[in-house]
Amino acid sequence: MKAVILAAGEGKRLRPFTEAMPKVMLPVGNKPILQHVFEAVKKSGINEVIVVVGYKKEVIMDYFKDYKDIEINYVIQDKQLGTAHALLQTRNEIKNLFIVLAGDNIIDEKSISKLIEDNSEYSLLIKENSQPSKYGVVFLEKGKIKEIVEKPKEELGKFISTGIYKLPKSIFNKIEDLSSDGIYDLSSVIQSIVQEKITINTIIADSWTDIVYPWDLIKVNKEMINCNSSSLSGLIEKGVTIKGSVSVGKDTKIYSGSYIVGPVIIGDSCEIGPNACIFPSTSIGNNSVIHPSSEIRNSVIMDNSHIGSNSFISNTIVARGNIIRNSFSSIAGETTVEIEGEFKKVNNLGAMIGEDCTIESHVIVDPGIIIGRKCNITSMKRIKENIPSNTKVM
Amino acid sequence: MCGIIGYNGFRDADKVLIKGLKRLEYRGYDSAGICVIDKKLKIYKDTGEISKLEKNIPSFKGDIGIGHTRWATHGAVNKINAHPQLSDDKKIAVIHNGIIENFKILKEDLKNKGIKFKSQTDTEVIANLIKYNYKGNLENAVYSSIKKIKGSYAIAAVCEDEPDKIVGARNESPLIIGVGDNENFLASDITAILKFTNRVIYLNDGEMCVIAKDEVTVFDEKKKKLDRQEQMINWNFKDAEKSGFPHFMLKEIYDQPDTINQVLRGRVSEINRNIEFNENVEDLLKNGVDSINIVACGTSYYSGLVAKYHIEQFTKTPVIVEFSSEYRYFGTKNKNSLVIGITQSGETADTLGALREAKKSGCRTLVVTNVTGSTATRISDAYILTQSGPEIGVAATKTFTAQILVLFLIALKIGVNKNEIGPGELYKHILDLKELSRIVREVLENSNKILDIAYLLKNAKSIFYIGRGVNYPLALEGALKLKEISYIHAEGFAAGELKHGPFALLTKITPVIAIVTKDSTYDKMITSIGEVKARGPQVISIADEDDIEIEKYADFVIRFPSNTRHLSFIPIIVILQLIAYHVADMKHCSIDKPRNLAKSVTVE
Repeated sequence: MKAVILAAGEGKRLRPFTEAMPKVMLPVGNKPILQHVFEAVKKSGINEVIVVVGYKKEVIMDYFKDYKDIEINYVIQDKQLGTAHALLQTRNEIKNLFIVLAGDNIIDEKSISKLIEDNSEYSLLIKENSQPSKYGVVFLEKGKIKEIVEKPKEELGKFISTGIYKLPKSIFNKIEDLSSDGIYDLSSVIQSIVQEKITINTIIADSWTDIVYPWDLIKVNKEMINCNSSSLSGLIEKGVTIKGSVSVGKDTKIYSGSYIVGPVIIGDSCEIGPNACIFPSTSIGNNSVIHPSSEIRNSVIMDNSHIGSNSFISNTIVARGNIIRNSFSSIAGETTVEIEGEFKKVNNLGAMIGEDCTIESHVIVDPGIIIGRKCNITSMKRIKENIPSNTKVM
Repeated sequence: MCGIIGYNGFRDADKVLIKGLKRLEYRGYDSAGICVIDKKLKIYKDTGEISKLEKNIPSFKGDIGIGHTRWATHGAVNKINAHPQLSDDKKIAVIHNGIIENFKILKEDLKNKGIKFKSQTDTEVIANLIKYNYKGNLENAVYSSIKKIKGSYAIAAVCEDEPDKIVGARNESPLIIGVGDNENFLASDITAILKFTNRVIYLNDGEMCVIAKDEVTVFDEKKKKLDRQEQMINWNFKDAEKSGFPHFMLKEIYDQPDTINQVLRGRVSEINRNIEFNENVEDLLKNGVDSINIVACGTSYYSGLVAKYHIEQFTKTPVIVEFSSEYRYFGTKNKNSLVIGITQSGETADTLGALREAKKSGCRTLVVTNVTGSTATRISDAYILTQSGPEIGVAATKTFTAQILVLFLIALKIGVNKNEIGPGELYKHILDLKELSRIVREVLENSNKILDIAYLLKNAKSIFYIGRGVNYPLALEGALKLKEISYIHAEGFAAGELKHGPFALLTKITPVIAIVTKDSTYDKMITSIGEVKARGPQVISIADEDDIEIEKYADFVIRFPSNTRHLSFIPIIVILQLIAYHVADMKHCSIDKPRNLAKSVTVE
């Protein structure tokens, strides 16, 4: 059986992190979300995936050019009209039953196996959720779908659709039919199939995680590195303390006096310390440098970032290519963040810094602040408000 | 350049050979052919694209055969001269890379013995020589034949009467053995066989091999059996994919932020504030470097010219940059000088020759190359890998960037060793180096302006590139990139030299690209631009973001990020590559395979 993975969307709510890469490529445990999806699909016994790409497709195709664990075929969706439209692009690649997944949700392999083994032609993985209004809510009758309601205004029902289906090839005719009426999303296509009295079976997924807001990256990163096992390469000097599960990549150097408590993942070709402290649950990407006497907790530091000495970073996301000079602090705390016009209350959140910023020494950032891409902040500043991309803070 | 593939195993040989030939396409070729042993020797060859060959080829049944892409040296491009070449009794087929210097004498000799020739190739001479020496054992016949041959060659031969083996031999032309399970390969280039195996054995000059299905045997020049270790190649077959870009060249231009990380990897330490190479290289750079000779060809020669400025500036050591083909015959070989050879493939025949000559005269030799295990790495005292992965586009982009950056690190290291660079200055350089990949990403992202400039340039008949100091070799490289892929005549000049001659060629319709950096040459460059403008051409300037004056003098400006200091040559070269690419793309040129050009030139 083949799997179709939808990976064409941008993920606007995750800006500024998605300004240069699609959502599916954001790193969780130092691997793109999409790679976690590939791994689960592979473990469930599927050897070939068709990936629908669109927004910043080169980033995906280039990253996975060396990827050998699964056969990847790409199909391009030029305009991101909707999930059904994305799926329709793969029509020529599909011969019989197939499964379809979103490239930006993390799913476990057992749930995929259950879906594959299910006898019905149409089936859907569902999941209990306490805030169903964000999703497509599924109402059931004897385990079969009775109705799907997209983002209901009230908190009704308890199961949501994970968007992971097993479908027959005949679905393409239906999608084509409906797209002439301007219907491009898969939930509506499924709803119309239900109305035609076709039975769609449901299976409850074991674990399924969606990444919607920037701070979800910290949460999901923690979940994913928790199950990571230790593996140490590179050069670890005498006098480094390592506890718990910690993995260190090739050509990385960790200097004396550093104190690392797992789960922590450190990528290839990094330099850390002396006397740097890294606490759970942190990932640090490739080619990054953590200067002496800095402390990092529960944060995601992406590739090619530099954190100056005496810095304190907690519950924070630092995207690729940042240069942060010494004595930087991110204060974590309770805050309300505005995302695309929606106000969200979040506990214990630090800063979210977009890629390629330069932050000079002694800068303090308040909880929940989003700093856009390519910002320059001069020294001795306290940042209390969000800063849009390409801003100079003098 | 010509490409060789041989297969002996369990798959359909014709299919394997064609796949391999397609992988070799990037090296440039004008004709191709294969030979499969299907009881008799079955041959099919044609001029033009491999896809044409693939479409027209009859189906051969056989699991052993040889294939070749030809880039003509002896005789015109046609079906008859394409390889494989048969002996006159049609029992022995040979494919061959390189040039046989004494082929005329050998041919006369064989003609006198009654052998008839059909083609003008030196390869047919080899086939008949082997046939003449054949007494029931192919490797013995090949052995006796190569003893008579003078020149460079990589040969693969098969014989109808011994349908279980391929015999290979090399001298000054690359040939490798690919080792599989119950199948083995022979190729001139790793890319041809990477799809099937990543275990290889390198042949040395004068060696021969016999490829059976389940065994490979290597012999030295006295026909003594050798015990050779396999090496694992880390390159992945899929490296050679375009990742959604329209051309390999554009993909490779966009690879460059990563190329930079790869070059710096394990070599530049921000916290220890030093630059480290492996022990052999450290020893070589340590003391007593009185003078440096850089030998290289083509684009690598230009990277040598760029390095000259850095090494002289940072180390006060005189540097002579010479074409390998000149140095090997005429260069002054001072025992106390360090000779740095630059070759992307590690197989460039002229550079290998130059390195051998240098070594013979007692010079220390250092090689900068992209290919592990290549001949250059084996004949030099030490080598530095540019770690830039395979490059498929014939026009060098990321490998050039990797070369000039490696050479920049060498310059810094010698400077530190000679106490010409203090710790404070070195740290500044290290911070600049660490920021470099981000700067290149920025250039790539803001490249829309370059499309407008390309539109402006695409109908030009001739374009000048000018610069001073390190920007002069960049001007040369920029012009080379443009002419090789867009077929527009382009020349690079040292800006100060314009008035001594080249001005005569300037007309209103000759656009001039001026590279202007905020350093000691700035005022002089502005003067040069003024001189050019006075003669009517449009001036396109590549300038620093902070340069607010330049708009007064130039008609168009392409900006690169400021604060790059000594490293401005990297963003500038990326801009020059993008100009060449977009002009060629707008003119619908064959960007990845420009006419008449080959990727690595393994003949002299």
